[in-house]
Amino acid sequence: MNFDGLKKLSLNDDVKKIFFETFPLLNEPDFDWEKTQNNFDDWDSFAQLNLITLAEAKFEITFSDDEITSIISAKTLLEAIKSKI
Amino acid sequence: MNTIDNFLHNSCKANPNKLALIDDNSKFSYFELESEVKKFSSFLNQFPKKSVISLLFDNTSEFVISYLATINSGCIAHLIPTGISESNLNQQLLSAQPALILSSDLYFSKTKKIELKNLEKLKFSEVKETSSDIQTPSSNDYAYLIYTSGTTSTPKGVPISHASCVFSTKNIANTLQYSNNDVDLLPLPMSHSFGLGCLHTSLYVGSTLVLQKNPSIENILNSIKKYEITTLAAVPSTLSNIISNGSNDSLNLLSNLRLIITNSTFFPPPTIRKLKTFLKTGMVATYYGLTEASRSTFMIFNDDKKIESVGKPSDGIEIKIHTENKDDNTGEIWIQGSNVLDNYWKKEYSENISNNWLKTGDLGKFDDDGFLYILGRVDDLINISGEKVYPQEIERIVKVLSGIDEVVAIPMKHKSFGEVVKLFVKKSIDSEITSSTILTHCIKNLERFKVPAKIEFVEDFPRTDYGKIKRFMLKE
Repeated sequence: MNFDGLKKLSLNDDVKKIFFETFPLLNEPDFDWEKTQNNFDDWDSFAQLNLITLAEAKFEITFSDDEITSIISAKTLLEAIKSKI
Repeated sequence: MNTIDNFLHNSCKANPNKLALIDDNSKFSYFELESEVKKFSSFLNQFPKKSVISLLFDNTSEFVISYLATINSGCIAHLIPTGISESNLNQQLLSAQPALILSSDLYFSKTKKIELKNLEKLKFSEVKETSSDIQTPSSNDYAYLIYTSGTTSTPKGVPISHASCVFSTKNIANTLQYSNNDVDLLPLPMSHSFGLGCLHTSLYVGSTLVLQKNPSIENILNSIKKYEITTLAAVPSTLSNIISNGSNDSLNLLSNLRLIITNSTFFPPPTIRKLKTFLKTGMVATYYGLTEASRSTFMIFNDDKKIESVGKPSDGIEIKIHTENKDDNTGEIWIQGSNVLDNYWKKEYSENISNNWLKTGDLGKFDDDGFLYILGRVDDLINISGEKVYPQEIERIVKVLSGIDEVVAIPMKHKSFGEVVKLFVKKSIDSEITSSTILTHCIKNLERFKVPAKIEFVEDFPRTDYGKIKRFMLKE
């Protein structure tokens, strides 16, 4: 069994879940790892705060100010989390 | 009947053999209670009228006798919570300047370190009947002095006159329909205005009062059964505990109660609804009041649509919402009426009273039907990018989750938004709730800017001697 593969799958699912929880209007077909903040209607500065707070709580991590600024898509959030765990 | 001492006297005259008071160790008829109070007063009459007598007792007949005797002798009863810290006790005594501190044997050790000039210290058991001249109070004399709990700032001395107390007692009895058929269970400290008001009401209507020192669910339910209790006064956490942990059989014991009264500015709706199902025909009620303005509103929960309100102003009491902008319907609650103190002790904090209006520091609003809603404290508002957020709104949303005992929202400095919400959470025993569950729930149920930016779990909160959370100590 490929445990790394399972871990990766689980992490991806967790990050996707954070996105769906932060953006309740987001539908599954519209989810795109590359889609950036500018392409979300409801990703304002407070949504960014909610997203970061929720990710920090779920993974028990803390992002620096620079890391927070760099998180502009699901992909960049995933990478930021990967670098912490 | 303009002084409190008449409550006992009149009930004794009407029904001397009726059981007045039951505590863990003793029972008193109205006649026996009045006799004990008279004996005790004979000793206290040696102190000049208007002397302050500090009382340090828990929920026992000793408290009731000492308190009523103090009042009968025209002195002012300074009521001290038994859980008081040493520093707070010293602070209160320095301010109150009592002539005597009276205590139960159990708490006498707390008085040993006090070094106050001319202060006499006595145990209840050391007081002997004497033959001093009889003194009586007048309606405008102060009856008791309670220091506010210091939830938001330094404790303030609140002296309450006989006239004010008589006014509030009549309001309680009339609104909640107390009568001499009632048997009232009191698992609350009488050193607090909620518990003290229950004592006054019971004496006023001539009912039987059952005092309970230990407010455990088991003790409360046992007493309800044993004494055929008809009214229960308890804080919301006690009632929530009864609902959460009582078995169906034990909860059925509530069905004979005609009244459950609590004192919360926010009483969780699920608890109210559950209590009502067990009570069958009885009333579930709350009130809004301060030590400075006892029982300013009453709310009897009849209409589910008003379940978050604290009700309408009591008879003879005016409440207005003071706003800076007249288009606002939310602002500071101001109260005027015979229940409001005329001055703080030693006329301090005069800025809190303006033309007989007490500025409560509480934020509230009225709905179109005249029901009052409490939204928090003026000082507790969280200013997020210019948006004013009431901590209670967030706390109410979070409290709905199971596994949470208590929650407090406070402002946390933020470089972009000025302030954001920080949440302190005390979990229930064995709760496994996580911050991400709370956040997800908040995101679903709150506007984005109100969602906490930080959640911290705590074992407990800093508290006042009355057990209230000191919010200001949580702020950075």
